Amino acid sequence: MPMKGRFPIRRTLEYLQKGEIVFKKTVKIMTVNYNTHGDLSEGARKFVFFNIPQIQYKNPWVQIMMFKNMTPSPFLRFYLDDGEQVLVDVEGKHHKEITQHVRKILGKSDKVLEAEALAKMELSNPANFGPKKYFLRECMSEVEGQVPHPGLVPLPKEMTGKYRAKLAAVSDD
Amino acid sequence: MSGRQASVHAKWIIGQVIGTKMKKTAKVRVTRLVLDPYLLKYYNKRKTYFAHDALEQCTVGDVVLLKALPEKRSKHVKHELADIVYKVGQVVDPLTGKRVAGKQYLEPLTESTEDAEVSLTEKLGQLNITASAPPSPS
Repeated sequence: MPMKGRFPIRRTLEYLQKGEIVFKKTVKIMTVNYNTHGDLSEGARKFVFFNIPQIQYKNPWVQIMMFKNMTPSPFLRFYLDDGEQVLVDVEGKHHKEITQHVRKILGKSDKVLEAEALAKMELSNPANFGPKKYFLRECMSEVEGQVPHPGLVPLPKEMTGKYRAKLAAVSDD
Repeated sequence: MSGRQASVHAKWIIGQVIGTKMKKTAKVRVTRLVLDPYLLKYYNKRKTYFAHDALEQCTVGDVVLLKALPEKRSKHVKHELADIVYKVGQVVDPLTGKRVAGKQYLEPLTESTEDAEVSLTEKLGQLNITASAPPSPS
């Protein structure tokens, strides 16, 4: 049973997480003006269709607004935190070119993203045990190859406390 | 408590004006894209904000940029009008600076070339280039 829609791959988590553009902290608002007809707006239309969901997924706190058929030529406009506005002309450009350009001017670079991922990894140590919400495992019995929880699988007689106590009592005598 | 916190989470927002019946206040509708958790598709979610507009220069249908005030002005007003981005009926194309309506320019893009040619010939005529040598000062 295939997914519904024109390009349903846009509606998968894997596609959304593959978004390249992570905006810098100063970018607050992104506005796209494009036209619904015309060859010059084709790149902008494809950009809105394919890439805007990826951008919004990676930047949930940036407000993105679309305006259709307001001006003859398509453009992007970014509003930064200090009141500055960045205007990007996208007339005639391919949607991949637009993403590359936006990434270059206002996106976090690969190095910064890697450093952030590393810092995040350092915070959560996989060797720690605890509640499922914060850690990978709660008890050593969940690890493969370790003694399973006696509630699920009965322990062999030699490991039970009462057998050992009986042995100790017999050996003492 | 560590320092004063901003009155609102959103510092800058863009929205469309839907009402101006209040004195010096504009009702602005802001749309944000929200992911539907099952369909995994983004839809516009609306929220109305009230913005302080000291000069009452907004009309219904303008697209405006709002800035968060450092502290609330009244119970509902937490933003002020920073800039009118697109005034309804008088949209200015930021790339060229000309007035625009939909896909057409209302103002001509270039100056008409005829005037330029006429003035050029006039200017050449005024130059008075002659072959005679100027009188030498002595």
